[in-house]
Amino acid sequence: MLRKKTCVAMLLAGGQGSRLGILTKNVAKPAVPYGGKYRIIDFPLSNCTNSGIDTVGVLTQYQPLELNAYIGSGAPWDLDISNGGVFVLPPYQKGKSGEWYRGTANAIYQNIAFIEQYNPDYVLILSGDHIYKMDYNAMLNYHIRHGADATIAVREVPWEDTSRFGIMNTDSEDRITEFEEKPKNAKSNKASMGVYIFTWEKLRKYLEQDEADKKSSNDFGKNIIPNMLNDKQVLVAYNFSGYWKDVGTIESLWEANMDLLETPMPIDMHDKKWRIYAKNPGMAPHYIADGAKVTDSLITEGCEVYGNVNHSVLFAGVIIEEGAKIESCVIMPGSVIKRGAIVRRAIVAENAVVGPGAIIGEETGNIAVIGNKMTIPAGVSIPAGEQVDETYTF
Amino acid sequence: MKEIMGLIYTGENDARLRELTVTRAIAAMPVAGRYRVIDFLVSSMVNGGMKNIGVITQKNYHSLMDHLGSGKEWDLHGKNDGLHILPPFLTRENVGLYPGLLDALRSNSNFLVRSKQEYLVLSNSNIIYNAHLDELFRYYKDTGADITLLYTKDPDMKRDEFGTYLAIDKTEIVTDIEVEPTHPSYDNTYMQVMVIRRELLKELVDKAVSHGQHSMDRDILLRLVQDKTAKINAFEYKGKCWQIDSVQSYFRFNMEILDPKMRKGLFRDELPVFTKVRDEMPAYYGDDCTVINSLVADGCQIEGTVENSVLFRGVKIAPGAHVKNCIIMQDGQVHEGAYIENCILDKQSVIKRNAKLIGPEAYPIVIGKDVVI
Repeated sequence: MLRKKTCVAMLLAGGQGSRLGILTKNVAKPAVPYGGKYRIIDFPLSNCTNSGIDTVGVLTQYQPLELNAYIGSGAPWDLDISNGGVFVLPPYQKGKSGEWYRGTANAIYQNIAFIEQYNPDYVLILSGDHIYKMDYNAMLNYHIRHGADATIAVREVPWEDTSRFGIMNTDSEDRITEFEEKPKNAKSNKASMGVYIFTWEKLRKYLEQDEADKKSSNDFGKNIIPNMLNDKQVLVAYNFSGYWKDVGTIESLWEANMDLLETPMPIDMHDKKWRIYAKNPGMAPHYIADGAKVTDSLITEGCEVYGNVNHSVLFAGVIIEEGAKIESCVIMPGSVIKRGAIVRRAIVAENAVVGPGAIIGEETGNIAVIGNKMTIPAGVSIPAGEQVDETYTF
Repeated sequence: MKEIMGLIYTGENDARLRELTVTRAIAAMPVAGRYRVIDFLVSSMVNGGMKNIGVITQKNYHSLMDHLGSGKEWDLHGKNDGLHILPPFLTRENVGLYPGLLDALRSNSNFLVRSKQEYLVLSNSNIIYNAHLDELFRYYKDTGADITLLYTKDPDMKRDEFGTYLAIDKTEIVTDIEVEPTHPSYDNTYMQVMVIRRELLKELVDKAVSHGQHSMDRDILLRLVQDKTAKINAFEYKGKCWQIDSVQSYFRFNMEILDPKMRKGLFRDELPVFTKVRDEMPAYYGDDCTVINSLVADGCQIEGTVENSVLFRGVKIAPGAHVKNCIIMQDGQVHEGAYIENCILDKQSVIKRNAKLIGPEAYPIVIGKDVVI
């Protein structure tokens, strides 16, 4: 018998993140590298650990291999404990039936047995789509204080963007009165962050009801939340005003990386009380050579810089050869930029090689992307906004 | 490699490291931006397949214990074997300090008896190397030696009166040993790493200690070679190694490791070096900084000028500060307008605004832990 947990977290990591193009061709979105040494999933996982939530189920489905390997035993996040810890939960066969996760709600429904092992009072639902630091424990206290059945974290977004979000209309006491998915004429600018806390007993009831409804698309936003509102359940909004960045598109992923170069940094990554943990590649400190020039950049372990780097983020083990120029780029682990290559406004994915004298991206325009393990031949030009994978003809 | 274990002795003389070893053993000296000396040894052992590793500590071992912890970073926290820190304890025959390696081994004979592996690699902790210890062990088994010693021909390691030197014949049998000679006659420096059968080591140690002897090299190895009572051969380590036994040699190691060729000789893809992780974000380079020929660890924030230096994790260099030929340990700070050259800053030391500190190249200035200047 496992000991009871007050709150168990369930992290929805099954989406493909197709708007990230070739970056998510072989990896699930939460495993996409960010910020020089992290992956997107490090943020919700570290938030859990820092919030005192030590039992986390990670629901995977799309390209789970790299994500599974990355999470491993959970040690980097202190989640390798005997009562609790981190669990990767792929869909599995049950008796005669067995099926993929059909929607966010269905994914949780299929793991009711996992949650019940811990007999929790509350369940925290997270996604692996955003860069943010948030104290889930403060949110849980808010949920308890308001006697809520569900608490939804919200964030004020610019009014012109409201049509891209799920919008919560609230009364003066932050009780949610209406939920509108991507409204044309929004009445509020409080957007759902996809972070929910439910009183488990209530959620289980609604998950079971939802499952019985054959017409349902088994989604939290489309079904569970509206159903609870219809039944006059107590749903409250929890206001969050810290840094919160969607990294669901090439441009936003690039921007979120560039945000780390702002002074002051909009998200404090040096806070010793709220560290973001990541699996460590175990490489030597990076080396900046004689003749190199590095400004306004983030550089991590294992890098060797012989050329010029400005306004860029370099991940572990990246090599920038002599005479190469890197400007406003994100260069992911293990990639090599050869002699004299010029790379501007680009994301170079893992273990790629940019050949000598190649020119990637342009000073303006959309972000160019070089896919995993791609080799760009010497002297080739890749214009702004191009995505280069195996199918690309040079 | 279930049949071999590792044992590291960390009680070397550290007087010539001045303030740097006031609070720590040589094994716990921070090196190369994010490591401790012992990381290289423990990683070599782990990469060589050893899963049972003992670390004999002497004095000031708090820092070492803190660093090694449960051994998790080296995958040494399993149920079977794992990492064992062996602090000195008071017994009838042993009061605090070990007079020599033999006494240390004798007082930890329980660990030797309890261990299950038939063979053992015994290593000192003041030489930094990254060796294929599995090759050393294979050589030991293939040649059927009683003891195999690891040595180097690196001329920089031939350091007169502080070393042990080996004469080796064509079949790699050790024919003579010189211990701390004023002018060594042989070019083969013994690296204080040996392979031996666990039972044999215990026997030899018991016998020597009961005769009032303390030195492994002089009282055991030299005698065995002279009496020809054991087959002792030698295996050459062809990689780069550095002895850390003085401020100068510590400084030199850190400066040499700036050379990409030297670094390649120490950090090899197939022999990763593990260390305690601190979860710092990547280093940040400001708009107007200038950094050349330097090793920089995660968590650093650099706005000034840094030349030929090694910056450990979390170091801050303010705008207008200038750092040249320096080693700055964890969380050190150099404030605006300060200039430092040929300095070693211990952990958390702070150089305030406009301070100027220039040490001679041959005798770098050491700023102690937590000192503010």
